[in-house]
Amino acid sequence: MRVGKQLGPLLLAVVILEVVFRLGIPGLLRPNPDFWALDNQIGIAQQIAVNAIIAFGMTLTILIGGIDLSVGAVLALAGTTTVYLLGLWSVDPASPAWNAALGGWNPAVVRALAEGVKWAALAGAIAAGLATAVAFGAFNGLCAAKTRMPAFIITLGTMRIARGLAHRFNEGRPIRIPDCHDEFLALGNGRLWGVVPYSVLVMLAIFAFAAILLHRTRFGQHLYAMGGNREAARLTGIPLARNEIAVYVLCALLAGVAGLINVSQLYSAEPASGEGFELDAIAAAVVGGTSFTGGVGKMAGTLLGAVIIGILNKGLNQAGVHYSLQYVATGVVILAAVYLDVRRRR
Amino acid sequence: MPDSAVPLLALAGVTKRFGGVTALDGVDFDLRAGEIHALVGENGAGKSTLIKVLGGIHIPEAGRIWFQGRPAAIRSVADANRYGIRIIHQELSLAPNLTVAENIYLGREPHRAGWLLRGRMYHEARRLVRSLRLDEIADVEARVGDLSVAHQQLVEIARALSCQARVLVLDEPTSALSEAEAEVLFSALDRLRVQGVGIIYISHRLEEVLRLADRITVLRDGRCIGTQAAGAVDQRELVRWMVGRDIVEHYPRPKARPGDVALEVCDLWGPKTFGASFSVRYGEVLGLAGLVGSGRTELARLVFGIDPIRRGQVRVDGRPVALRSPADALRAGIVLVPEDRKRQGLVMVQSVAFNLALPWLELWIRGCWPDGERRQAIVQRAISGFGIRLADPEQGIGTLSGGNQQKVMVARWMEKPPRVLILDEPTRGIDVGAREEMFVLLGRLVQQGLAVVLISSDLSEVVHLAHRVALVRDGRILDILPAEGLALENVLARLTGAVSCESG
Repeated sequence: MRVGKQLGPLLLAVVILEVVFRLGIPGLLRPNPDFWALDNQIGIAQQIAVNAIIAFGMTLTILIGGIDLSVGAVLALAGTTTVYLLGLWSVDPASPAWNAALGGWNPAVVRALAEGVKWAALAGAIAAGLATAVAFGAFNGLCAAKTRMPAFIITLGTMRIARGLAHRFNEGRPIRIPDCHDEFLALGNGRLWGVVPYSVLVMLAIFAFAAILLHRTRFGQHLYAMGGNREAARLTGIPLARNEIAVYVLCALLAGVAGLINVSQLYSAEPASGEGFELDAIAAAVVGGTSFTGGVGKMAGTLLGAVIIGILNKGLNQAGVHYSLQYVATGVVILAAVYLDVRRRR
Repeated sequence: MPDSAVPLLALAGVTKRFGGVTALDGVDFDLRAGEIHALVGENGAGKSTLIKVLGGIHIPEAGRIWFQGRPAAIRSVADANRYGIRIIHQELSLAPNLTVAENIYLGREPHRAGWLLRGRMYHEARRLVRSLRLDEIADVEARVGDLSVAHQQLVEIARALSCQARVLVLDEPTSALSEAEAEVLFSALDRLRVQGVGIIYISHRLEEVLRLADRITVLRDGRCIGTQAAGAVDQRELVRWMVGRDIVEHYPRPKARPGDVALEVCDLWGPKTFGASFSVRYGEVLGLAGLVGSGRTELARLVFGIDPIRRGQVRVDGRPVALRSPADALRAGIVLVPEDRKRQGLVMVQSVAFNLALPWLELWIRGCWPDGERRQAIVQRAISGFGIRLADPEQGIGTLSGGNQQKVMVARWMEKPPRVLILDEPTRGIDVGAREEMFVLLGRLVQQGLAVVLISSDLSEVVHLAHRVALVRDGRILDILPAEGLALENVLARLTGAVSCESG
């Protein structure tokens, strides 16, 4: 398979980074005997989950020659919407109010009712948050498909709109997730069997979905065609507008899902969160070999791109490297990855 | 097998007008299965219009079309596809990032409920390519962007034939191909002919037409001059048919005032130029005659410092100039007016005045201070000096007619006239009246002593306007002849690769 040829260098980079942070570089980077500890590695996976999920959607938009700058703001808006409604609709099942109101009822029934209300509130709030994200995606896609505005400008605009709307909730202050929603808090912080974080499981599930969509369906094939030669795609009857809208909706939906994980990790919705996440996602995609001219890229590449950046951040952090130099290091990695990629393709 | 007596496709009396211009005038044409039928004619003879009629892009005013003996109505591209007519244009519509198989089945990928059947797609692509005997693209997993242009063309042909094309129209397929690549295409077309595909082949290059085609139809001024078996004609005869007898157009050849040698090009080699030498004197027009793709523009690009010179020398006034960029050329007094006004010549979103004043920034911007009056003066001199018709110098350049845009392109260099002016296709896409004006203008510049290099696809224009004509083919200069009394037939014969005729 040709896949190996493209992903090989990325896997190599992952291995090299793992070895370098374990053994260190004399005089530059101190060795970290615990770097390969399972818990440390899982920590890396947990840290990249949000970025990777956004980057999968970003890969789709870049693949068709577009871009989505609004994902960071849409993440914040979806998160605040969900948590705001959660606070509005939730009544703690343990609250004495239940017994006060329904004093004469069978306690088991009251308990079931209270649990039901809690779950309905959660489902409704999540649905509303994701629907907000989808609405923004649909708007981005419609504008990109039906107007001649460049995607960069469209999503620059919707980025500001979404950010502004996120700040409307609670005067721009953080909103706490009600304590009763342990399950929702587990999404960002819990682990399956105490080992695998749920956020990582969600990320892997989305990766599988996105990879299959892109590499195993006709829809994915059409995205490659659109990115490679839009005119040729049009002439062969590929529905450009429909596909373009679908791509932006998917991208925004994934940003919404990332927003749920994000608020769960923080125990609260922060209207200012997610600033710059769009750039992190773009970085993961391009380090993973997605071409900005469109038509070239793979989901596995983007995953590895996110992993590389994640290892780099964690490794430098644990080695006590000042955060300012971490920025510099990721910048160098982005430039090096894209330079090597461009040279290899020529 | 289709009955060989009934043509696959037949046209009778097809007429198409655009406004007052008759592009096709009662054209008869037929194509048999398993035949390569070449369509030749000069630029503007009606070949493209005829193809567009077949492809359902133009609907003719009169005439009838039969497909396999039954009357056919081609009123849209979809109709043409239904009859199995596929046109392969010069600009290929392939996705370079996808593989051969993916391109063949672009938009028609085999699938089950949206799941891509990748295995089946590759399997079918392999079978198709094998059955068409297009062995050159047997590796259907290769990326199309990595293939040569000739092989990309085969991919496009395979795509056309994969959807049951019976009639394949190839529009100038070799214009972007090297000779070796063209051979690849010819041998593939030979194999397709054997399989009963009807092929309409359009080309300027008569030698390949004579070699490849079974029959040849000549169009001239929208009329069908005749159809002949390829064995029954030779190149000279075809050329005569193409040019016709009545080629008397009135071009005011500028009076020569030959002075000293202005520009000398000695054994110049570049990316697509293989040893070109010529010289132009002050007050003289040198024409570069050649077919589309012969390397005229590429030669001009070398002399203007756009492409890297691999070998050879350019001298202005006898002094060698180092040409590493257009800025070097401009300093040496060489100006190129490029062929594509919209993309290479003008800043389309800006005003007429902006475009006219652009080359002279150092004259009207002192330090950081633009001098509006100086700019105004430069713009006015150009407008009045060259009779550019406009309402307001600040109006958008896009609102001017093609002819006036062309005048802007020339006029803007005359604030301080250059030594050598290279005009690439100065009359492309402008109407007859504007052409006349361009010619008069050219005459005036020559009278003022400019050395002019004129490139044009319109042969009679070159032969009648220039004082000497350089024949360009495949990046080489075959010969340089005095234009006076030069027979168009002879020039065309040599440019299309006919027998080398007596040089004058």
